[in-house]
Amino acid sequence: MEIVERLTPSMRRVARMFVSTDAVADEVVQEAWVGVLQGIDRFEGRSSLRTWIFRILVNTAKTRGQREARSVPFATIAGDDLDEPSWDPTAFDAGGHWTSLPWDWRGLPEDRLTGRETLEVIGRAIDTLPPMQAEVIRLHDVLGWSSEEIRNALALTDTNQRVLLHRARAKVRAAIEEHLRSVSA
Amino acid sequence: MTNRIVCRDLLELISGYLDDALPAEVHSAVDAHLSGCDGCTRVLEEFRTTIAMTGTLTEEQITPAQRDTLLAAFRGWAG
Repeated sequence: MEIVERLTPSMRRVARMFVSTDAVADEVVQEAWVGVLQGIDRFEGRSSLRTWIFRILVNTAKTRGQREARSVPFATIAGDDLDEPSWDPTAFDAGGHWTSLPWDWRGLPEDRLTGRETLEVIGRAIDTLPPMQAEVIRLHDVLGWSSEEIRNALALTDTNQRVLLHRARAKVRAAIEEHLRSVSA
Repeated sequence: MTNRIVCRDLLELISGYLDDALPAEVHSAVDAHLSGCDGCTRVLEEFRTTIAMTGTLTEEQITPAQRDTLLAAFRGWAG
């Protein structure tokens, strides 16, 4: 049961990207777990077990989404900002160099930086990301999955996985900066 | 990619650099840029801190009700 408890929260969020309601997402997760139990004899160890389980989940969720006649464009779940720069372009001159140095966190007291408030800011920033960006940063930076596991689990290309992760981190970094500026003002 | 990277472009490479996912020549070019650029070094350190702090978050837990529903589904399948 441990693996079920560990993976289910992510699985619910991933399922929810492809179907219309939380209740349907819960059904998809149940169906996926039953699919895992039925198919476990076919697991060949070519990917990690959790990657294999997520593939079953994503396929189940997509099938269910199609049955709901719900088509979800990639940009809706991944964010429509993947081609945009991750930093305000006006910070640079025409040659692409800083016009003035970015604000520096490093002199701030350690407890302000690492306090519970900052962690809450990070949690909220992740919650407001486009869902696939949120899931990639959770799996990679919170749960410690490898980039390879994530792209196999979520059927992403290597490039998309990396861009999603970088965009997510850039926004979390910006949220931390905004928070630190507001409490340091 | 040439071995000269400007700040604007370097900022898009930070995650790849920190995850050790860049081709060796690009990684070296980032090193070369950082050795002479305070602004980019700041941002790189901030990303490193961001990643470390994100790593201290805890994943949400499933509720007892969700757990019971799943167990019931498994029993239904097994029975």
